[in-house]
Amino acid sequence: MVLKKIFWTTSITTVRGKKEKQMKTIIVILASLLILPAVCSAQEGDLAAEVRELRAKLERLEKKMTDEEAQKMKRAEAERAALTEQVKKDVMTDVAAKSQSYFGKLVEQTKVGAYGSMRYGTSSLDDLHNTFTFRRLVLTVDSPIAERLKANLELEFERFTELEVEKRLFSSRGVGLQQAVEGTNHSEISLEQAWMQYDIADWLKFRAGALLVPLGRFNINHDDNRWDLPRRSLIDRGVPVLPSTAAWPELGAGFLGDFSAGTTGKVSYQWYVMNGVALDAELEQISQTRAGDTTKFAQEVELRPSRGTFADDIKSGKALATRWAYSPWLGDEIGVSLYWGRYTPDFLPSRPVFSLALDGKKTWGPFEIEGQYVHTRWSGVKDVALAFARKAINSETEAEIGDVETEVEFELANLATSKQGYWVDFRYRFWPEFLGNTLLGKHFANPQLIATLRLEQVWFNQLIKEMAFSSTSLTQFEKENRLLNRVTMGLTYRPVPLVALQLAYEYTRTNRGKSLSSVTNFLTSSKDREYFQHAVLMGLAFGF
Amino acid sequence: MDSKISLRQIGIWLVCLALSLGSSQFALGQEGVFLKDEEAPKAVFPEADSFERKVVRSNEEIKAKIQQRMGKTKTSLWEDSYVTFVAKKGETILGYAAIVEEIGKHRPITFIVGVGPDRKIKDAALMVYREAYGGEVRDRRFLQQYKGKQLKDPLLPYRDIQNISGATMSVEAIGRGSKKALALLEVVYFEGTERK
Repeated sequence: MVLKKIFWTTSITTVRGKKEKQMKTIIVILASLLILPAVCSAQEGDLAAEVRELRAKLERLEKKMTDEEAQKMKRAEAERAALTEQVKKDVMTDVAAKSQSYFGKLVEQTKVGAYGSMRYGTSSLDDLHNTFTFRRLVLTVDSPIAERLKANLELEFERFTELEVEKRLFSSRGVGLQQAVEGTNHSEISLEQAWMQYDIADWLKFRAGALLVPLGRFNINHDDNRWDLPRRSLIDRGVPVLPSTAAWPELGAGFLGDFSAGTTGKVSYQWYVMNGVALDAELEQISQTRAGDTTKFAQEVELRPSRGTFADDIKSGKALATRWAYSPWLGDEIGVSLYWGRYTPDFLPSRPVFSLALDGKKTWGPFEIEGQYVHTRWSGVKDVALAFARKAINSETEAEIGDVETEVEFELANLATSKQGYWVDFRYRFWPEFLGNTLLGKHFANPQLIATLRLEQVWFNQLIKEMAFSSTSLTQFEKENRLLNRVTMGLTYRPVPLVALQLAYEYTRTNRGKSLSSVTNFLTSSKDREYFQHAVLMGLAFGF
Repeated sequence: MDSKISLRQIGIWLVCLALSLGSSQFALGQEGVFLKDEEAPKAVFPEADSFERKVVRSNEEIKAKIQQRMGKTKTSLWEDSYVTFVAKKGETILGYAAIVEEIGKHRPITFIVGVGPDRKIKDAALMVYREAYGGEVRDRRFLQQYKGKQLKDPLLPYRDIQNISGATMSVEAIGRGSKKALALLEVVYFEGTERK
């Protein structure tokens, strides 16, 4: 553009005088030659700056694009890695789920729990000390073996501390066996339940194994932490009126189920055939030194009703038990149950025991009434006693050799022609608001206090009092009618449903002048004047 | 009196059992699973003709909001996500439902809770019950008690819910789960982004 101007100026000068024009032209050209480099130099500087700027811009753009590309790649790489990780995880989960073994699933689904109770008790009876008692710890296991198949187990450790057996066979101028059994007082290990169930339908389930006998409502709901008083009822445990003490399992099989009855009603049933209760022997050994007398070594064999064997039955007849319950609506239920079966071993005449139980529960908001009545009839008690005398020959045999007196005694225990009794609980559940912010309430969602009044009575009709026989004949057979009453008042605090802290007062009384120990299995009273007992119990029951 | 049970009696007994096992009508008997995911909303909104299914991913924010609405009630199990439904009849929304889980004594109980537009429980139905005892919580006569209950109610045994003896843990679990469902649906549908 600058050059164009120069040429344009030069062409104008040619129009004027030639010389003048030539002169001017020379001057212009010279001037132009002098000025032009400066002009060109300035223009060149602008261009270079412009180019530098453009180059810098280009470089910045290139850098930006490179950075963005790098970031994009980094993001894509991260996404790819995450996706790969997720797919890997999914595949692993899938593979793990598919490859989980049957045994693995079984172990995972099998749940181990427990319930138990302990208490501190005081008693007005001279022979009973104030004491802590660990009543029982029951381990529970349940497992869904497969669809519709499940198994359940309860193993009880009652007052159990230890059991140790030492046994040694030795030879020293002959062969000898040395055996020592170490155990703790009143300790017991017992299988309370062990069964398998096949759910065919809601109303038809097959169950077989060691089953809880469905007689009354307590035996089938006996878990300590479900009850609000620290001692079990007389008819179920303390006497008992049930043919055997609760918890009472028998080996057998049968059906159970439930079905709707009306819009809110429900009927449930259990029906089993089992080995059943039998008179079984208990052996008691006594070694006793006596001041001014010989040392006594005695063996007492006591034949008393016991739960049926889990081995070969000692009798040929089997027992039947069934319970039918109708619940018209939630919270209320009435049940009737029957038990019938031979109770005598094969070496005695066949005689049945029959039990009838009625039970129920009624709820009105926080008030509840729950109860159970049981009547048990032992047929042919005298016939059984006679036959027993014939088989055992002598009820008591003793001999004295040197300073040792040896005695063997046979006894028929805890039998009456009939026993009947009931318990009824009146409960009121409450929770005062002011306790909500105290230690008792603030850590728990639904703590409760339960006030309970329990009334109990047991009638014994022709209870065997004394029995003796000699040379296969009955020489003494005395029976008596007895009555046992108990009133219990209790207050229970439940921070959560599975834990109960219990406080209770009990008053137990039998016929005036008669011992409580002859009609209960938990009160020791050697004096006839002790026909009543005051007791205070503090209990703890728990489950998990 | 002879108490022996004859072989004939046992035989009759076994024949009855065999007939029972052989009958196809028993195939639909009791199982641990009572309702599947796709059947569940119909159980609580039988009158609905369509259901819009939505999975709500759980996160700390949702948990905090639910817990805030549940007050003192603490859940025993937090799900990773919740399957929810909008129940419709034609274009009308009948309510919302959520599938929730809570631990009974040892194992989770899965159930669905349907909530009406009035924010009250319309119905609840048990889907899976895994505990060895306490299966009565699936009975209609038990679950009916939850109808009309709302977030402010305790939903606790011996308070506003009739307990089932021997199944108190399961009864408490159903109460906690129902509250969780009410709070979830409140957060997601009545107050949240999914508000219809």
